[in-house]
Amino acid sequence: MADGVLSPGVNLEAFSQAIAAIQALRSSVTRVFDCLKDGMRNKETLEGREKGFVAAFQESLHSVSRDLGELERLSNLVGKPSENHPLHNSGLLSLDPVQDKTPLYSQLLQAYKWSNKLQYHAGLASGLLNQQSLKRSANQMGVSAKRRPKAQPTTLVLPPQYVDDVINRIDRMFPEMTIQLSRPNGASAMLLVTLGKVLKVIVVMRSLFIDRTIVKGYNENVYTEDGKVTDHATTALLHYQLPQMPDVVVRSFMTWLRSYIKLFQAPCQRCGKFLQDGLPPTWRDFRTLEAFHDTCRQ
Amino acid sequence: MGVTCVTQVPVAEGKSVQQTVEMLTRKLELLGAEKQGTFCVDCETYHTAASTMSNQGQTGKLMYVMHNSEYPLSCFALFENGPCLIADTYFDTLMVKLKGFFQNAKANKIESRGTRYQYCDFLVKVGTVTMGPSARGISVEVEYCPCVIANDCWNLLMEFMQSFMGNHTPGVPSVFGTKHDSIYSPADTVVQYMELFNKIRKQQQVPVAGIR
Repeated sequence: MADGVLSPGVNLEAFSQAIAAIQALRSSVTRVFDCLKDGMRNKETLEGREKGFVAAFQESLHSVSRDLGELERLSNLVGKPSENHPLHNSGLLSLDPVQDKTPLYSQLLQAYKWSNKLQYHAGLASGLLNQQSLKRSANQMGVSAKRRPKAQPTTLVLPPQYVDDVINRIDRMFPEMTIQLSRPNGASAMLLVTLGKVLKVIVVMRSLFIDRTIVKGYNENVYTEDGKVTDHATTALLHYQLPQMPDVVVRSFMTWLRSYIKLFQAPCQRCGKFLQDGLPPTWRDFRTLEAFHDTCRQ
Repeated sequence: MGVTCVTQVPVAEGKSVQQTVEMLTRKLELLGAEKQGTFCVDCETYHTAASTMSNQGQTGKLMYVMHNSEYPLSCFALFENGPCLIADTYFDTLMVKLKGFFQNAKANKIESRGTRYQYCDFLVKVGTVTMGPSARGISVEVEYCPCVIANDCWNLLMEFMQSFMGNHTPGVPSVFGTKHDSIYSPADTVVQYMELFNKIRKQQQVPVAGIR
């Protein structure tokens, strides 16, 4: 859990004293019950036994109340652990006691480290490949040979303010497309793009990279799955890829998405009709942004 | 509620209303549409009562109270060129209380009943329009659910209607002209039905032999 990180609210000294106080309280309560169970044996007269018993009982009860008071005082000193759980929801997975059968948390950490490394390597590789240009002019080679492949900035960890700025700029670029940004669960942004009165698109991002999209009609319930256009949008987000410049990627994706404003008005460029099997032209070409039916695009 | 077009299909030559409806539904089923139950749209007419008319002798206005099975909990009340009110089903009982002001013309009650088909994103309703015991015509309603702007998908709707209605495809409904990019609402569908019913009422007052 919060292994190395000491949250500022917790007083560790008082914490350990409180644990000791709990142990003391437990032992004094046990003594009370032992006293009740054993009674008094070593006095001859009945009165003596009774008095001795009552005295011992009173003393054990007093010790219980003293220990309880001590524990309360210490618990006030301990303070609350800070509310900002640094690991959010994934940290709760690590609390699972049955680690053998469901090693979810360790697998999650490994997957996360792997994807980070992958992104880093992809950045390095694209930097190196860009330097090896296909032109054979000597000038180019000379210049690039001097440059060491510099460590690419980790585009995975961008400050959220930067992401907000990029999205705002794209929002202003297209008048009929409005983009609303929110961060409901942690640091990844979730965009709700409303395209005129035609479509609503939910885009989930991971810093500036688009992770997943879902496309819904304007008056459809947002929580049910949709069909064709969602598939096309997922294809688009896989198509527009550039590890170095993620904001260009986002911009080109939005431009592609904007071509859907004429979803119901544009006929298919290949067959000239509006409907094919009851569907309008749902495919937009990635370069020319022309409308095609899904079956016509080959 | 998507963009809807309501139109009338004339009865085929030498055939009855029933047979024409069957021809249409067969064409729809060939296209691949699935039957999804029935629908009913009905319309009652109310006159403004004589006692409320002023001495200048204005003609009484006609008010139509309509129900649409697509919106079972609502009741639509509209004047011919005027506003349309969407109310609860208790509106009918309210009209009974307003007997002094609005009188029901029971003979003018007209309704359209038929089957409801679904094809991809289209909802097609083919119904027989009846006034009293006699069938007067055929109404076809086509709705394209994903689109809510009327003028955007007119071409698409027309292409679909041509595929099963052939030459009887109508022109742009008059409500589309006034919409201009505002969102299509159920009241517009009901207005189209009202216009259709009025047209049918004015048509053949004498039942033609083919209808029987």
